[in-house]
Amino acid sequence: MFTINCPYCGEREQCEFSNGGEAHVARPKDPDQVNDREWSEYVFVRANTKGIYYERWVHTHGCKKWFNAVRNTSTDEILKVYKLGETPPPVKKFKNTLKSPSGEPDVGSGNFTVKNHE
Amino acid sequence: MSENKIYFKFDGKTYGGNEGDTIAAALLRNNVRLVGRSFKYHRPRGIYTCGIEEPNALVQIINEYNEPNVRATVKKIYDGMVVKSQNRWPSLKRDLGSINNILSPIFSAGFYYKTFMGPKGFWKNVYEPLIRRTAGLGKPPKEFKSKSIHLHHNVDILIVGGGFSGLLAAKKLAGTNHNVLLIEREDSLGGILKNTKKIESINDQNPSDWIEKTERLIENSSNIKILKNTLVTTYNFSNHLIAVEDKSVGKPQSNENPELVLHKIRTKHTILANGHIERFVSFRNNDLPGVMLAASFEKYIHRYGVVPDENPIIFTNNSSTFGLIKSLIKLGHKPKAYVDARDQKKIEKETLELLTKYNIPIYAKSEIEGCDGKNEIQKVSIRVKKNEIIKIKTSMLCVSGGFNPDIHLFTQSKGLIKWDESLLTFKPDKPFQNTITLGSVSGNFSYQKTINEINKKFNFLEEVNDLELKLNINGPEKFEIKELWETNHAKKSLWSKSFIDLQNDVTTKDLKQAVLEGFNRIEHLKRFTTNSMGTDQGKISSINALGIVSKILKKSVSEVGTTIYRPPYAPLSFSAIAGRSTYEFYDPERKTPVHPWHIKHNAVFEDVGQWKRPWYFKKHNNESMEQAVQRESKQVRESAGILDGSTLGKIEIKGKDALAFVNLIYTNSFTKMKPMTARYALMLGEDGMVKDDGIVCKINDQHFITTTTTGGAANVLAHMEEYAQTEWPEMNVYMNSITEQFSTFNISGPKARTIMSRVFNNIDFSNEKFPFMTFNNFNYLNTKVRILRASFTGEPGYEIYVSPKHALTLWERIFYYSKDLDLVPYGTETMHLLRAEKGYIIVGQDTDGTVTPIDLNLNWMIGKKKKDFIGKRSLTRSDIIRSDRKQLVGLVPLNKAYGIEEGQHVIEEKNLNTPIKKPVKMLGHVTSSYFSPTLNHCVAMALIKGGNRKIGSQLYVSTSDLNVIPVEVVKPNFIDPKNERLTS
Repeated sequence: MFTINCPYCGEREQCEFSNGGEAHVARPKDPDQVNDREWSEYVFVRANTKGIYYERWVHTHGCKKWFNAVRNTSTDEILKVYKLGETPPPVKKFKNTLKSPSGEPDVGSGNFTVKNHE
Repeated sequence: MSENKIYFKFDGKTYGGNEGDTIAAALLRNNVRLVGRSFKYHRPRGIYTCGIEEPNALVQIINEYNEPNVRATVKKIYDGMVVKSQNRWPSLKRDLGSINNILSPIFSAGFYYKTFMGPKGFWKNVYEPLIRRTAGLGKPPKEFKSKSIHLHHNVDILIVGGGFSGLLAAKKLAGTNHNVLLIEREDSLGGILKNTKKIESINDQNPSDWIEKTERLIENSSNIKILKNTLVTTYNFSNHLIAVEDKSVGKPQSNENPELVLHKIRTKHTILANGHIERFVSFRNNDLPGVMLAASFEKYIHRYGVVPDENPIIFTNNSSTFGLIKSLIKLGHKPKAYVDARDQKKIEKETLELLTKYNIPIYAKSEIEGCDGKNEIQKVSIRVKKNEIIKIKTSMLCVSGGFNPDIHLFTQSKGLIKWDESLLTFKPDKPFQNTITLGSVSGNFSYQKTINEINKKFNFLEEVNDLELKLNINGPEKFEIKELWETNHAKKSLWSKSFIDLQNDVTTKDLKQAVLEGFNRIEHLKRFTTNSMGTDQGKISSINALGIVSKILKKSVSEVGTTIYRPPYAPLSFSAIAGRSTYEFYDPERKTPVHPWHIKHNAVFEDVGQWKRPWYFKKHNNESMEQAVQRESKQVRESAGILDGSTLGKIEIKGKDALAFVNLIYTNSFTKMKPMTARYALMLGEDGMVKDDGIVCKINDQHFITTTTTGGAANVLAHMEEYAQTEWPEMNVYMNSITEQFSTFNISGPKARTIMSRVFNNIDFSNEKFPFMTFNNFNYLNTKVRILRASFTGEPGYEIYVSPKHALTLWERIFYYSKDLDLVPYGTETMHLLRAEKGYIIVGQDTDGTVTPIDLNLNWMIGKKKKDFIGKRSLTRSDIIRSDRKQLVGLVPLNKAYGIEEGQHVIEEKNLNTPIKKPVKMLGHVTSSYFSPTLNHCVAMALIKGGNRKIGSQLYVSTSDLNVIPVEVVKPNFIDPKNERLTS
């Protein structure tokens, strides 16, 4: 359980919010003009990033407002929240904070309570 | 009998103890050594430790709702407490289960996995019940209404542990502007200072005076709050910790106040000052009652004033037992012998001098080979040289195998640990969160260094107090240890055992066998042997297991690694986790305003979401559900029925762009729809699947009211909000739930119009003035009602929307005016039957999230001319336009006497061989099925592959007794297919 800083209400417990999956997946402006493949990608395909992830949240048990957040999915740190329509911060801005618990690899999980440090 | 004695019962016998005694302290005071039987072999077990790490002394508290597996070393006694030992029958001294000990050579690691394999069904019916009866710990507790509550804290700094370093940390922060919470698991502060006499004086004060003064200082500073009797069990991400406070320490549980409080703490910085745990050494019969950890023995003396034994033998591999020896001598007692695995030259000068002065035999470079005795220790075998063993009589053996920093919470927080070669244990390395470790948990076993440690580790904080400390230490200050995990047995025997996990009865031999069988990864080995998987989580033994395994594998301990420490630190009561979310508070019940009337008229209720809806009304006590539903359904079709539909979701949509928005949300087209008319509408997901249905009422282009299914109301509103905010933020549209602002009654049947005309005698209900799917607002008495002509039964019907305040009165008036019209109240089951006769679907019963409007033959509801609506593009995807998708059809049994079961398969095969040998081709399944009292046969709906093309053909439906019945595939519309009744 972590806290989320709702851009409208302030910092609240995670249990007040619902996750809305990947952010900035635009609904095609004219759905009839896209082919089956492009449409299916919009409907079904989402990234599953380990690390910096842009996602949507809604303050379900609060103001009910949707907003965007940048979260490190391996540590659950919320690095940034911003309102809908605001320009997303560039990924490289967060590079230095991409750490994972117990020094896990960049992809996959790890089980390293004890790590031999060189 | 003195007045301040406390009396409690253990296994039927009354014992006296002092105030503040734990059960274990009081039993030791009374010389009771045998307190339980072990998990697997039913071996006699005693009190091993003096705290939360206890593996053996688990008891059942009979007068606290049979609470099982309570640590006798933690639970404090009170007058009238009734305690029972566990896992023995018929009595603790004579336990029949101890035959397992004789059979033990066959119960080695993985015994259950290897032995109880077959025949089929034996595990469930024979083996498991048998094993469950003999193995295991306490008996389940009785149900009780817990009063536990949850409390939340938001602090700057949390200090875990109110011992020496925890108190110093608090002192450093007292009076500053940091908001601090100090948590101590015992009922008083002081920790190690109270358990030992290792520190003689602090700043020239007696340690107990210093504790008292420091506590007063903390209490007087407004920025620190102290919680005692509180155990931190969990350290989550983002510095979120959970602690459980025992509110009934040393007194019976109260009926008024919470017995446990679960504290949920958010902090910016966590200071872990939670100390260390002593570990043991494995030797032959190291589980016999009378074997006790040395530091625990010392704790009993100083904290409880109990001397468990006056002449114990002390066995150690390190420098820590000086204090114990000195304490015993000071009390006029004397250890019988001192056995140290270290070389004589390595033993501290102070210790040697003390032992020599009091003529205590010293066995250096020696070890305990094992001990013997029946039900408790009687004799100890000391290996003084490789092949020389001497035996000494004793009734107690104190063991110290070294100390482990209590890194449980630190690793829960995902901090990294490393192996310390000089302390022979793991200690914290790199924290992952804002975590600071202080004192022995950080691997600092020197009191003198604590002050420097605190000053150094607190320098990131701007405002802190300066601390100075002058300590007078008793005995050796430097900690020194020799590696020793287990000692060798003198004779090889199938029955001699050295235990590594006392609670789960895992022996060192089991570890070796597991490695031999290939379980050489520590995570696998743990699960195969069940080592450290008891309720104590191997607190005194898990590092020893790593030591032993590293020797077998010829690897270093840090290469072997540890298993993951997971929360909770110690067992956490479910009642604390549940808090007030129990019984009536677990899930709120929603009731309609007519609920009291339903109860009065023998309604049987069904839970729909949180709503209580009448399922059916019992006419008399002997009427079954089937009879009631048949009666209700028939009466609706013959005269009229009324349904309490107040639970239906209702959403109001307003705004300049309301029309455009509703056009995007629902499949239907609302543009040409006239004001004050209504339409049955479908809502899809972006994948084209039916999400919900309901009636959309158009008041004008800027104002709509829609209904949703009872269970879907919250989701539908959330779905609308999501699209309004994220996809079409430029639209001017607002929506709000008005479910509870209106009560809804559905009246339908041939006599519905007559009833309505009588109740609302100023309204013209003729078909011309009030046609199907129109609505209007009317004044009624001193309120307003909205009446919509719609029907979910196929009969002429009206929906009345009224303020809940007037709902019950109106409901009763309707019955008053229909006395001679045979109006029947009906429930959800009859509603389902009537709509199935008419072929109306229920979203979630006839659909399951894989069904499109095309599959339901509801193409007429799709506004094909609309440029866009949610899910529209998906309806032309290649997979959606396949003609062999599952489609909704009706089924009628050829033999009208047969019933069709819901959920059964629709197949082409005439016969099903039993047992079924070849795969049977499944066409689909029955979604709804009812016996129609009007048609006098069963009607069913089913989703079957290419169903539309199969209309008129004959198929088969399986039955639960492995038969099949022939059915005819028909259009799913059994009554009034031309809607003549509906619109008349």
